[in-house]
Amino acid sequence: MSHIHIPDGVLPLWLVAAGWLAALALVWLASARAKRADVRRKVPLLGVVAALVLVAMSTEIVPVAYHVNLTVVAGVLLGPWLGAIAAFIVVIMLALLGHGGVTVIGLNTLMIATEMALGWGLFRLLARALGRRHVGWAAALATIVTLAITTTMLVGLVALAGGGAATGRETGALDPRSLTFANPLSGGVVSVNTLRGAEATPATAPLSVARFAAVVYTLGPIGWLIEALITAAVLAYVARVRPGLVFGTVLMEPVRGPLGDQGVR
Amino acid sequence: MDVRAIDLSATTGTSRLHGASPVTKLVAFGLMLAAVVVQQNLFVVLACLLALASLAVGMRLPLRHVLGLAAYPGLFAVVFALAAAPDLLTGALFVVRAMAAALAAIVLVFVTPYPQVFAPLQRVLPEIVGDALLMTYRSLFLLAEKFERLRIAIRLRSGLTRGHPVRAASATAGALGSLVLYAFDLSQREYDVMRLRGYEGHLRVTLPRAADPRFDAALLASAGVVLGTAVVFRAAGAVLTPWSWLLAAAALLALLATIAGRLISR
Repeated sequence: MSHIHIPDGVLPLWLVAAGWLAALALVWLASARAKRADVRRKVPLLGVVAALVLVAMSTEIVPVAYHVNLTVVAGVLLGPWLGAIAAFIVVIMLALLGHGGVTVIGLNTLMIATEMALGWGLFRLLARALGRRHVGWAAALATIVTLAITTTMLVGLVALAGGGAATGRETGALDPRSLTFANPLSGGVVSVNTLRGAEATPATAPLSVARFAAVVYTLGPIGWLIEALITAAVLAYVARVRPGLVFGTVLMEPVRGPLGDQGVR
Repeated sequence: MDVRAIDLSATTGTSRLHGASPVTKLVAFGLMLAAVVVQQNLFVVLACLLALASLAVGMRLPLRHVLGLAAYPGLFAVVFALAAAPDLLTGALFVVRAMAAALAAIVLVFVTPYPQVFAPLQRVLPEIVGDALLMTYRSLFLLAEKFERLRIAIRLRSGLTRGHPVRAASATAGALGSLVLYAFDLSQREYDVMRLRGYEGHLRVTLPRAADPRFDAALLASAGVVLGTAVVFRAAGAVLTPWSWLLAAAALLALLATIAGRLISR
């Protein structure tokens, strides 16, 4: 599901705050772990892969109006810890473009970081099981399973918000039953509705989790399939041209230099 | 999303909002966002949206890009409202709230270059995150341009055509694969350049001062008034609710007046 497209001000404050706290803790932990390696080398790599995900997200598959996410590709390339930092960066950039709310940056980071970590773990597992010849299948399966899990997480999030969601609304002078305007000045300036409201108690109703789940589980698989096909094609292409980027230490054959170049680095 | 249009507006714009201090603009953005989030009254949120639209028109921001970007989250909010909102008016509130929050963020980035938006964040985030934010911004333009060229090349060879989704997806995947390799080479080159320039693990961004401190004060005061109004309407909803449509009407009049003023001055 990649990032959640839930607008600002819908999820309850406790959920949004918990998301922010958990995301910041994750980013700090990931940064602390990244410091053990050569940070200076990691910064350009992180920036480039985060930019790559952003470029992919701005790419529409022409006839079906679906935007690619490449979160599994980014996870495979960066690993889970750097992936968490990249997820945070991508979400901040998206929020500043109005794509995904600012208040849900924390929850979005957790969602994308989970996607990258799951994608990385599943791909490594499947690549090891299926072998180098079936990188595409490993990538496609990893993507579908990852997206199915994160979509379920999203439904769980909405269920968690449930009746606590900010669905309360006041309609002002608009009567929600007849959709007609009442004139607050009709009874005179003094006596009127300055002292008594037309709708004193805001209406509050829970989000419809069942309807929401039905919609995302109907539309979701189309997106999973497209994402899986593209992820498989991209990773298979990179694995053919630069296997070291995809496999890392997994299934990596020893690199042999040209004859006469032994010992030259 | 056309990041080049945003960057062009943010770096070459000459409005008073462009000249305001980045910290002031970030605080004002936070206050507006809080006003939108705290409010449950459709008309008050609508008034915020119209006020932000007036600001965008008044500051002569490129409206085609600004409104296009603001409408995008609105579309997703419509889907979410159809899927989960308990009734029509709550759904309308979700959509207007999403668009108002997005418009606040979009106005911010159209008048403030990204590095200046990131600079205050850099001070509170771990170094690697702050630096990577700046590197992402830099790499985004290079990769977007490279990808655009790849897409043109594919289109010229009839790889991207309507009616052939499989071929389009396959061509896009090939282009993205090439882009991944280019991205890795780019990161290596950037690393070499940064080392030559003496990068030691911390990129510094200097924040410009406000061109007119009085304008900054007025901006903060206006955003504070909007938040105060939203809080008062939330707290005293029973009393003030019947009057809320007046706010939306006033904001609409302000928007129309701003549009008229802009047309006349043209």
